[in-house]
Amino acid sequence: MKRTQNHEARDQNVSASDIRANLNDHHVRSRTQPVAWTGWDLLNGETVPTLTVVLRTRGCYWARRKGCTMCGFVCDSNPSATGPDIYREFLGVLARFGKEFKIIKIFTSGSFLDSEELSPDVRNAILAELKDVPKTIIESRPEFVTDENCEEIARSNAHVEIAIGLESSNDYIRERYINKGFTFRDFIRASKAARSSGFTVKSYLLLKPPFLTEAEAMRDTIQSVKDTTEYADIISLNLCNVQRGTFVEKLWKKRLYRPPWLWTAVEVLTQTAGNMPIICDPVAGGMRRGPHNCGICDHEIVAEIRRFSLSQDKASFKTTCADKVLWNFVLEFEEYSYGAPLVP
Amino acid sequence: MTRQFEVTLRDGAARLGKLRWKERELTTPHILESKEDLELLKKAVTDNEELRVEVVSDPDDIGSREITADVVILGAALRFERDPRGLSRALMSVRESINPDAALYTPALATPANLSMLVYAGVDLIDTVLPEVKAREGFVLYTDGEDRFDETQGFPCVCSACLGTAVDNAAIEQRIARASEHNQVALRAELSRVRRHIGQGTLRELVEGRCRATPVMTAFLRLLDEAYPYFERRAPLVRTATLLACSQESLNRAEILRFNERVISRLTQREGILLLLPCSARKPYSRSRSHKVVLECVRAFRPFINEAIMTSPIGIVPRGLEVMYPAGNYDVPVTGKWTCDEKEWVRGRLIEFVEVNSFTTVIAHVDGPYREICDEAAAMLDVDVVYSVEDEGVLSPVALQRLEEMVKDAVAAHSPKRRDVRFDYIRDTVDYQFGKSTSARIFLSAPKVRGRFPTYYVSDGGRRVATLVEKYGTCALTVEGARRYIGKRASQYCVWIDDFVPKGTVFAIGVQRADPVIRPFDEVIVLNDNTIAVGRALMSGWEMQRSNRGAAVAVRHVEDR
Repeated sequence: MKRTQNHEARDQNVSASDIRANLNDHHVRSRTQPVAWTGWDLLNGETVPTLTVVLRTRGCYWARRKGCTMCGFVCDSNPSATGPDIYREFLGVLARFGKEFKIIKIFTSGSFLDSEELSPDVRNAILAELKDVPKTIIESRPEFVTDENCEEIARSNAHVEIAIGLESSNDYIRERYINKGFTFRDFIRASKAARSSGFTVKSYLLLKPPFLTEAEAMRDTIQSVKDTTEYADIISLNLCNVQRGTFVEKLWKKRLYRPPWLWTAVEVLTQTAGNMPIICDPVAGGMRRGPHNCGICDHEIVAEIRRFSLSQDKASFKTTCADKVLWNFVLEFEEYSYGAPLVP
Repeated sequence: MTRQFEVTLRDGAARLGKLRWKERELTTPHILESKEDLELLKKAVTDNEELRVEVVSDPDDIGSREITADVVILGAALRFERDPRGLSRALMSVRESINPDAALYTPALATPANLSMLVYAGVDLIDTVLPEVKAREGFVLYTDGEDRFDETQGFPCVCSACLGTAVDNAAIEQRIARASEHNQVALRAELSRVRRHIGQGTLRELVEGRCRATPVMTAFLRLLDEAYPYFERRAPLVRTATLLACSQESLNRAEILRFNERVISRLTQREGILLLLPCSARKPYSRSRSHKVVLECVRAFRPFINEAIMTSPIGIVPRGLEVMYPAGNYDVPVTGKWTCDEKEWVRGRLIEFVEVNSFTTVIAHVDGPYREICDEAAAMLDVDVVYSVEDEGVLSPVALQRLEEMVKDAVAAHSPKRRDVRFDYIRDTVDYQFGKSTSARIFLSAPKVRGRFPTYYVSDGGRRVATLVEKYGTCALTVEGARRYIGKRASQYCVWIDDFVPKGTVFAIGVQRADPVIRPFDEVIVLNDNTIAVGRALMSGWEMQRSNRGAAVAVRHVEDR
């Protein structure tokens, strides 16, 4: 789709990693401790306490090679991390928070199953440590979700959920606008590998990659939810936000990109809810760099989206606001601006 | 090759045109108002059937790509809404790299406040998208900016959308609907005003007023003015409309800069005595009472001296160019006080003028701010400036008598060569139009001037060569004059056409080659192997070469070559 329009801007896409290469040092946050926080999440229809840990590995290999247009997580990584350090730090977090969570998420700002990031010994040790937790969620690009890797970690922990950043089921959008570097078929294969080891699969979908109008983004995500239903157990809807040092940030600064409207997220959630769990955490919701509306209704809607994520109840969405007239106009007319968001 | 669009009238970079599309003939600048039209145009980007439409998203990176569409869309133009530097650069860069007879569309950018400026920069197509967005964001738009409408009050307006539809205390949806309608009506009203100004050749005057709405727009105009070549390439040699210099930005008009550039680079060098005079409200200056009085008192010496007039914003006007636009046709607010910018500008022009000529004596019959300027200039010049006015006023008998004596003494001391004062007008105008030393090439022996000021007929060697036309202040050549001008190697101000006998109008499609230096209203020589003709250019020379449509030259006389 959209082969004619925006193609010049889109071809700048190849420079996504160059942008990062030119980042000022102060953008790269070097941490000494892994980040961890607790929260609430959905498990088998129930709201349960969760712990999230971000291990400071060397980070995503793809981000260093080419990079996705919206991703700034490479800034959170630690290029000199070693296996023993990471494991020690992980144990430190467990000592601090305990293991009494229904869900524990172990993230790396990259792929948990990439043995260059986390050696098999370390990852198995970490998962074995968590084998009694009802659900351990890890993240990985699909190329590492192989039968071999899945069978290996299944021996350490049987209650794993593998989260994969599919972003969109549309290969053109994923390839050209997100620069993700894998296909929908790759995702399907990974999903099958995970499930045949008894794991569940979470699919991340990205609402509003660059170069899409609000309406196109909405349609793409709704379609992606439908296409993914068969291959995932839960969908996490990520509302694109403008992270530092990303290609998306460059576009945003030139007024060529705007994060999605919260109305669009509400529309996607209400249209797709019911078939399978779909959750959404509007990171930076209501901020200029995050998904936002007019500024008046944002706070309420962010809260409603969070409530919906835990309840899956469409009745969570009650707010109305005058800016819905504007949002509707944007949906109808943004394509006629030929690449600029109608409302900042 | 452009097929569906044609420029019919130019006012600098702004144009009126005709766009043939879907069995309609739209007058541009045009507002795409319906969603249907927006959709059709968008489809045409990929279909390219009847109308060829191309999107340029990165104006800095057009490179060698050849764009030949009828309509060119500046993609994501809205990104420049608050970025005057980006907008001015993008518009000029796109305009310069596409065919002059392609229509330029800036989607979702126009508002009643910026419409005139977009068109001034060279935009032909706009839409109502942004005014509709603004209404939904809670803004009513006017030509002088925007107001937020709140929930209790109506907004003061008598446009067709607002009359009789009170929305005080109405539901928000109703208020938005009315604001949206109002904003679109305001855009349409501004469009018709802009078209009228293009028709009159006064869009610049409108724009100098409009740009006051916001600092962003004032910056936009100033940044456009920094691109002198872009506007000079499109500025007509002359206008019939009076140039109104009502703002600081007036000093930067391409026509004014070009006038001064040519005074310095094209005119025949002067020597001997220079008499500096203040400007007058009435134009040409010689028709004003003040100039009549002063000239009467030095009448006997005029054939021996050079005269020049100091004026804001034009600069220095040699007497022989006082009929030429813009010197012959401008107006400026007169308060007796000059701004620093004005003083600095005129001082600079005076210094340049004295430096490129070789005057031995400068007599300044001026006082007040004119004298301050002369004093400052004199400090930087090798020539002495003497003043014939002290503090009694330029028209006082004492000053006039002093002037007469000073001029008389100077003439006696230098005994300069006698000239025909009327011929100065012809000489300077011809040089101004056609380039340095042209007059020496055209007028070989002793040219005879007949007629009443300022309509002068010049014959040379018994043949009519040129006429000074009062309406435009330009010199029209006869075919004989043209033959003398082009000599053996025709080049400057020539238009080479296909093999036909030009009558009436020569269209761009028939032009093979044209001197890129030609500007609208220039006198040009039209040539092919068999014929030579003289006429008036209707578009710039570079535009004739790159256009397929439109009238290029209005031919006046034709002869066998």
